[in-house]
Amino acid sequence: MTKARSVAAITMLAMFAVMPLLITPVGAQQLSDRAKQVGGKFMCMCNCNQVLTGCNHVGCSTSSGMLKELNQSLSRGDSEDAITQMFVQEFGTKVYAEPPKSGFSLVAWVLPSVYLFVGTGLVVFVISRWRKRPAQHAAPAGGAPGISAELLERSRAQASRETQD
Amino acid sequence: MDVFGSFALVLAFVCAVYAFGGGIAAIFTRHPLLIKSTRQAGMATCCLIFLATFSLEYLFFSDNFSNAYVAAHSNRDLSTFYKIAALWSGQEGSLLFWSCLLAVYVLSVLITYRNKNGELMPYVGVVMAGVQIFFLTLNNFVASPFKAFASPGADGVMNYVARADGSGLNPLLQYPEMVIHPPNLYSGYTGFTIPFAFALGALLARYPGEKWIHLTRKWTMIAWMFQSMGILLGAHWAYAVLGWGGYWGWDPVENASFLPWLTGTAFLHSVMMQEKRGMMKVWNVWLVFCTFLLCILGTFLTRSGIVSSVHAFAQSSIGSWFVGFLVVIIAVCFGAYLKNRDYLKSENQLDSIVSRESSFLFNNLILLVSCVAILSGTLFPVFSEWITGNRISVGAPFFNKVNIPIGLLLLFLTGVGPLLAWRKTSTESLKRNFGWPLGIGLLAGVIALVFGFREIYSWVCLILCVFVASTVGLEFYRGAKVIRARSGATFMASAVDLTMRNTRRYGGYIVHVGMVFVFIGLAGAAFNRDTQKDMQVGQTMQIGPYTLLLQGFDTKPEKNYTAQRMNVEVLRDKKTIMMLFPEKRRFSTNEQNGTMVAIYSTLKEDLYVVYAGDSPETQLPVLHAYLNPLVKWIWLGGAVVVFGTLVAMLPNRRAVLVLAGAQQPAAQPLTHGLTPSVTLREGHD
Repeated sequence: MTKARSVAAITMLAMFAVMPLLITPVGAQQLSDRAKQVGGKFMCMCNCNQVLTGCNHVGCSTSSGMLKELNQSLSRGDSEDAITQMFVQEFGTKVYAEPPKSGFSLVAWVLPSVYLFVGTGLVVFVISRWRKRPAQHAAPAGGAPGISAELLERSRAQASRETQD
Repeated sequence: MDVFGSFALVLAFVCAVYAFGGGIAAIFTRHPLLIKSTRQAGMATCCLIFLATFSLEYLFFSDNFSNAYVAAHSNRDLSTFYKIAALWSGQEGSLLFWSCLLAVYVLSVLITYRNKNGELMPYVGVVMAGVQIFFLTLNNFVASPFKAFASPGADGVMNYVARADGSGLNPLLQYPEMVIHPPNLYSGYTGFTIPFAFALGALLARYPGEKWIHLTRKWTMIAWMFQSMGILLGAHWAYAVLGWGGYWGWDPVENASFLPWLTGTAFLHSVMMQEKRGMMKVWNVWLVFCTFLLCILGTFLTRSGIVSSVHAFAQSSIGSWFVGFLVVIIAVCFGAYLKNRDYLKSENQLDSIVSRESSFLFNNLILLVSCVAILSGTLFPVFSEWITGNRISVGAPFFNKVNIPIGLLLLFLTGVGPLLAWRKTSTESLKRNFGWPLGIGLLAGVIALVFGFREIYSWVCLILCVFVASTVGLEFYRGAKVIRARSGATFMASAVDLTMRNTRRYGGYIVHVGMVFVFIGLAGAAFNRDTQKDMQVGQTMQIGPYTLLLQGFDTKPEKNYTAQRMNVEVLRDKKTIMMLFPEKRRFSTNEQNGTMVAIYSTLKEDLYVVYAGDSPETQLPVLHAYLNPLVKWIWLGGAVVVFGTLVAMLPNRRAVLVLAGAQQPAAQPLTHGLTPSVTLREGHD
């Protein structure tokens, strides 16, 4: 390694290495209180479409009422399940901020994994098919199965003739 | 002006129908006069839409409240700036605005290619006219913005009246970004019509594939850039106006704008596979079709009221029109594909799993999985109601849990992809390319751990951000070094030269750097803090290193509203940094309240202060303060993304040699495992 290259590499290394200093938050992380944590699991029912603790309406009576109920329940020592039941009874299943992991709602949680697995399977299948395909059978030489190589070539020539970038 | 606007819209509809019908006839007859007349009808359609849009704006500026739309969305005291924005603040006007932006694109295409691509353009013209017909149908017959204001008289008969003043614009929309956010977002949505029209047109014309890609590359990038800007400006608006301390709430309407962006991004990557290797032709055509379909679906979600959203327009029956349009598009796309799919076969084989081709496949997979997961999450409340009878909400916590791992995987691929070679990457090359970036990334991770990073996702995100930035840096460094050795120019000049020689490749890298900045900003969200307090004058509140001292209140009367402001002095280490003035606004016309957040923003963190109304218990004003680390990086990243996209659209300064297997003459025999021929092309990657 030449001297210049070493200097450049060390400079680059130092630059990126100090990056965390810039973006590490100063001070300890502030743990949210229990009400904030539990409140984040419900939607505000004022139609703001935000979680209960994030309602943006100035003086929103719905969110303040719900938070009051939540605080009262927590001070009574109610469990999270009991609080959830209380809100579901009052507002219906619309109050969940995320679908419960049971019953039909489980589908919502399972679907993204299904997409990922099926998609990965599909990609692996495509890759293996492409790898098995001999070069001489690739379209330009052999033509696509549905149409002749001649026709494909004629179409390509026509496309080149008829279009300009 | 009402009559003039209506008449212009009706004429535009007639011209669009002619452009569509005449275009179909021109495709079959190839009659030059017919081709020319349909093109001119297409241009006339656009000009008439512009006239209709200008006439509606004129009604706003002349305070003509005899027009129902103007009366509902404006008032005399509304500033000129917001009278422009009032155009797209409601259902009818925003649909006209949609048609107007679409007309800008259509007219640009028709003018740009008026003497080019004579065989393909009638197909493209027909598709564009078809889309215009749909929106003009809505503008004319379903949601006309040119209805007169009427109220029922004593006899029950509707009487047309001119109101003295209008109801005013929604306070949430009276913010500078609302003047630029919707035009950007709509320009993105409407812009994807052009690649769609070319893709469908080329398929109908039985073009084997690569030509439409070349023709539409810049159009796609323009649409993608506007969509990116629209999304980020929307996020900034939510951050600065809504006052909940965040910028992205996974609201259905936000999701709707994000979906076509994801498929559009996938397309911009996979398109390189087609250009370089002649592969993924079917996939690319369907990606463009899906992107356009998602634009229409997003509009349907926003306007039908099927999902509840703070951004949605009033619930109306317009949704069924969009469903019908979606069905027609899907049928046409399937029909065209089934008929001509043989022209879209791949031309090459994959040589190795460890190759650029594979990385593009996985990049597309991740983007598509994210897209489908967001779509199914957005529609889940509707499906759950249909199936179980109970509507189950799917809010931000669900989307965060699902999308954060997906996003990190995508960030990883952003770093890996550019380092892999086309066709096959050797172990030696892997070591050479990955050694430094991986080492620097891991070192950053260790330093972060030492400094107290304990949030796993943010920590991984940081490592990946440093890794991706290092890979891009290394690419620039290596390229610039070669140029510097030859030219003797400075390193920076060499890097600029390098970029200008291959704008697409290095512009793309700049976009990746922008995305790294965005991810750095997103990672900061794990460390957000907030606190709120009922405040009396002279009291202080502490958040992080900042002390907030309430110095007093004042009232600031404006033309359209009255603002009550808290005067908050910000201190750090007992030294005054600045004054912040969070506002509570009362809009006189519609008696609605609004907030205006005050932000002290640095690269490290945002101090975000909200005047959150008065406490019902103590009657004291409530100050809500947030400390949001790294948010500024998101906006900075957005600017870099736009800059990178613009660079990528520039023509190359000089042609460079690249391998181009897909471009070789078809008759030449291919040699297994080797690039069969090397042709001179504009270098792009």
